Amino acid sequence: MNKIYSTHYDVIVIGGGATGAGTARDCALRGLKVLLVERNDFTNGATGRNHGLLHSGARYAVTDGESATECIKENMILRRIARHCVEETDGLFITLPEDDLAYQSTFVEACRKAGIRADVLDPAEARRLEPAVNPTLIGAVRVPDASIDPFRLTMANVYDARLHGAHCLTYHEVEGLIINQNRVEGVKLLNKFTGERAEVRGHITINAAGIWGQRIASMAGAKINMFPAKGALLIFGHRVNNMVINRCRKPANADILVPDDAVCVIGTTSDRVPVETVDDMRVTDEEVQVLLTEGEKLAPALATTRILRAYAGVRPLVASDDDPSGRSISRGIVCLDHESRDGIGGFITITGGKMMTYRLMAEEVTNMACRKLGRDVACTTAETPLPGSEPQQEKSIEKTISFASRAAQGRHGALADEIKADRPSDRALVCECEGVSVAEVRYAVEKLHVHNLVNLRRRTRVGMGTCQGKLCACRAASLLGRFEGDPERAKQQLAGFLDERWKGVKPVAWGSTLREAQLTATIYQGLCGIDHAVTRKEGEQ
Amino acid sequence: MRYDTVIMGGGLSGLMCGIALCKAGQRVAIVTSGQSSLHFNGGSLELLGYVDGQPVTHPLESINQLPAGHPYQKLGAERIAALAHEAALVLADAGLHTTGNANENHCRISPMGVMLPAWLTLEGYVALPMGKDCPWRRVLMVNVEGYLDFPVDFVVSGLRKQGLDVVVADVVTDELEQRRHTPSEMRATQLAKVLSTRVATEHLADAINVAAVDVDAILLPAIIGLTDDSLERLRQLVKLPLHLVATLPPSVAGTRMQAQLRHYFQMLGGTYLLGDTVTCASFNGDAVASVETEKLGDMPLRATHFVLATGSFMSKGLAANFERVYEPVMNLDVDADGSRSEWTRYDVLEPQPYMTYGVATTADFHVVKGGKPVPNVFAIGSVLSGHDAVKNHDGTGVSALTGLAVAHNILGK
Repeated sequence: MNKIYSTHYDVIVIGGGATGAGTARDCALRGLKVLLVERNDFTNGATGRNHGLLHSGARYAVTDGESATECIKENMILRRIARHCVEETDGLFITLPEDDLAYQSTFVEACRKAGIRADVLDPAEARRLEPAVNPTLIGAVRVPDASIDPFRLTMANVYDARLHGAHCLTYHEVEGLIINQNRVEGVKLLNKFTGERAEVRGHITINAAGIWGQRIASMAGAKINMFPAKGALLIFGHRVNNMVINRCRKPANADILVPDDAVCVIGTTSDRVPVETVDDMRVTDEEVQVLLTEGEKLAPALATTRILRAYAGVRPLVASDDDPSGRSISRGIVCLDHESRDGIGGFITITGGKMMTYRLMAEEVTNMACRKLGRDVACTTAETPLPGSEPQQEKSIEKTISFASRAAQGRHGALADEIKADRPSDRALVCECEGVSVAEVRYAVEKLHVHNLVNLRRRTRVGMGTCQGKLCACRAASLLGRFEGDPERAKQQLAGFLDERWKGVKPVAWGSTLREAQLTATIYQGLCGIDHAVTRKEGEQ
Repeated sequence: MRYDTVIMGGGLSGLMCGIALCKAGQRVAIVTSGQSSLHFNGGSLELLGYVDGQPVTHPLESINQLPAGHPYQKLGAERIAALAHEAALVLADAGLHTTGNANENHCRISPMGVMLPAWLTLEGYVALPMGKDCPWRRVLMVNVEGYLDFPVDFVVSGLRKQGLDVVVADVVTDELEQRRHTPSEMRATQLAKVLSTRVATEHLADAINVAAVDVDAILLPAIIGLTDDSLERLRQLVKLPLHLVATLPPSVAGTRMQAQLRHYFQMLGGTYLLGDTVTCASFNGDAVASVETEKLGDMPLRATHFVLATGSFMSKGLAANFERVYEPVMNLDVDADGSRSEWTRYDVLEPQPYMTYGVATTADFHVVKGGKPVPNVFAIGSVLSGHDAVKNHDGTGVSALTGLAVAHNILGK
């Protein structure tokens, strides 16, 4: 799957986040021959490091009406085309005693102007709808927020792109661009597993590399002023709330709490960070303090809930071209035609925006690519459902008897039918928390670009439940070793997986989180001696 | 209720201490939640496996390389040798026969196929000479299909790295086949229950015998021999030497150790208060007069001596909140770094400072409160500060030896 099958494409898309995957799908649906390249794993950047919130747009209604309108439009589209990725929770915007209740009417007014349904609730009614909400609230507004699984969403785009002829490569880094007479004619790729290098040509190269897009653009000699904004979040071990809870005030730190599967997520902070640090984001003690203090104001139960992990993403904010100082930073979509902007042909950058608007970003950049290629094909992604989101057939519902197959349907939607579990040993459970079977692991390895345990976690949720990979990581690693025929490499990957988990645990290592960390160390190091089985640590690879 | 000694915690250290006290005629009560780190045991006790990342061959000779605060430094090599000898005898008296001695480590095989230094290994489990040639050339690795808590590919790959020729055979019996239909019940201890009947053991032996062709030994995941003699029966029924290899938790070996030691303790007259936890202690001057438990409520346990054997963080013998590390029962003095950022290191496989945290003790393991030793309270096992069980592979050794040492201290030996 991860092989270079062709050396000439209409379009090469750089970046395997939601935007890149969405762009590859859009191009493929419009009949373009497209290659998607990602230097790491899909969803490795900001796509996989946010709240998992399907914004209604209400958050931006007062400060940025245009973004708000975009959001609610895309919100409604994603509910249609990506049903299996969305959980319709609705959201509350609450006013606490220290907040100004007058802001609520400004907020409701702005929401209605942007086309966002906003119902003012009596505080008692809000407490009844969402028992976890801070009971001292003095006001609440209900909006159509929801939670969305960005991993599943991105993979559904990749999957559909492939169904329509796209080629997709992970762990292939763009080391340089092929430039000829002020035209970008393709990319120079490094296979990070084998070390092999290759050149692939394309009429149009689309830079959808998120915060890493600045580096890609500079390879073409174009300058983009990015302002990396780090956002830290905490995941809690229980689903404390059933509705998204926001603060009804100007957007600030740690004012959104999103329920997500069996857990919930509080975030974010927002701090400018130097571009050089974006590959190694560490959550600081101060950020943890802010997230906890503010989070408890939304839902007091968070104070006594086990924290599973902390993580941080980097928003690819872009300074507008006429203000390189960065004072006026746009949160909107930025689609740069480097031909008209910098005199570099065949090269487009799509950046800015939000995970929420990935489809619209893909549409805009694909429109531009089509214009350049002289192809007049309309975009259909707003109407075409993503694979997995189709209503499930009667027969598959009948078949759904086990916990694992029910869980798999939740993750892969109608595609779960492709998971073949004919023998009893295929039905053995790898991950009890999330109900992942041997058959689903095999399916992910064969069909979903899984090369290591981190990939597997993102595709199947192995190790994402409350046990955080205590036993299932070892079981899954052993299976990967079998399916790929290299157990020693799988041991390295297991060590890499434990390290990746630990990076998230370290900032919150006290209470039961520290206790669980010691238990994990006792199993993997004390009992298993993994620290004496691996020769070097393997991070994401 | 009045005892000579009340022990808080019924893991390895608490039981060793309790057994030694009962044997000397004391009235002893152990209060225990029932959970202990023995449930993560691989079939061996470890005296000292590694120092600074290097494997240890002769543990008694390497003890002087340990840091000053290590519990072994309070005992000294000579006393350690005597206590280690005594520990093996206590285990044998409890029905836990082992191979190995404190002078020279041997190797166990971990569930990831790693050769790890060990001091005492339960009879029936793999114990290979350390740094010498393996006694086998070609072995059969038995695999139970659908049982995922034994990563067979990891173990086989590890054995092959040692130069062994390994044949893998999937073994199915009617009893195992039935169990496979409920995947969530494919755990080591569950399988051991299934395999404990005479018929099930015979079926397993038959299936293994069919597969055991042209090999020197048979290796089986540790899924048999929970609390009965099924392992001995199986070893008699198979035609070649059979040895168990540790699985991921729950551990059959650990469950067996815990059960045998508890049984022996009770046989000696000890009181084992299972499913209970000590909540607080009442002081009379500097000394503790009694402790209260969750279940006994206002009926405190009085005793002349008290022993804290509550384990580390994972057993809740230590706790940490946002600001500090503390001992939750008596708020004893702890050895720990003050600032939270010092508790951990960024790299998961580096030694983590929090691992060495524990209660502060005097040279004879009296606990300390407010800078003053508590005259009638001792601490033993993983709640002690100064050792890193996962890096030094000394956790079970520290537990067994400090448990016995404190019993001697209490008895005035």
